[in-house]
Amino acid sequence: MFDQSKIGQSFPSFTYQVERCKIHELNLAIGDENPIYHSKEAAQAAGYPDVPASPTTPTTFQFWGNPDFVKHLVAIGVNVMRIIHGEEEYEYLAPIYAGDVLTGVTTLVDGKSRQGKDGSSMDILTLETRYTNQNGQEVLKERQVLIVR
Amino acid sequence: MTTEAKLPTKRYFEDVQVGDELPRLVKAPVTHLQLVRYAGASGDFNPLHTDPKIGEMLGIGGIIAHGMLIMGFLGQLLSNYVGPTALRKFGVRFKSMTRLDDVITCSGTITEKYEADGEARIAGRIQAVDQNGDVKASGTFVAALPKRGGE
Repeated sequence: MFDQSKIGQSFPSFTYQVERCKIHELNLAIGDENPIYHSKEAAQAAGYPDVPASPTTPTTFQFWGNPDFVKHLVAIGVNVMRIIHGEEEYEYLAPIYAGDVLTGVTTLVDGKSRQGKDGSSMDILTLETRYTNQNGQEVLKERQVLIVR
Repeated sequence: MTTEAKLPTKRYFEDVQVGDELPRLVKAPVTHLQLVRYAGASGDFNPLHTDPKIGEMLGIGGIIAHGMLIMGFLGQLLSNYVGPTALRKFGVRFKSMTRLDDVITCSGTITEKYEADGEARIAGRIQAVDQNGDVKASGTFVAALPKRGGE
């Protein structure tokens, strides 16, 4: 049974510099060959100040920028070995480019226990991370739903 | 990177109609090497996605792809359609596991056109299915497009 008193709790903030090479690597793995994700020159030729973040680049912000994320989940009682990624949502508030320095704050916005079809119990957690850039501008809201069996 | 990869053409609000389908994106079969690459790139080193022994141990029969890789394919579909900085919202629900050799096809349909926050916006549904038609992920998006003569 998930401890509802944890809802509303925020984890300590983290800082991440958006790396051109990470955007390149991620899109290489995805197989997206759009040159603007792979070269600063191509991005600038297309009118962008630097390589832009691709739609799912923000996944690198949390994994690489917040190595303590798993520790924070454990601290609120999550069995991290039993997590399934249920949903992911991005709200893009302003463009993000390589070189930007982002500060992220993750908050547990919802948590509930549900009975599975087979009678087993699972916890459904919703985490929201808000990112602000080096100019203090809010650039991204990310929501993820984690299912813990 | 191949130099032949071309930039998507610019799309205007007037070019898009409700009911339009996004050009389908058929991805190459998912490979083990791709999942290793994706793990390193994204930073998600959950061994479920890279170590076949863990998959056997958990009784899920081998390794499964990162859900975010499938969302990445859908992101490519959207980026091809509207460009990298036009997206305002993009969300998916993960429906089933993707395994090695699965061939993922991404598709989408425009459901709405409207103006909000001083922008001309389109909204649509998207989904990723495998070679058997099983849905891996589905969701929605919102993007802002320029209007002709408005720039």
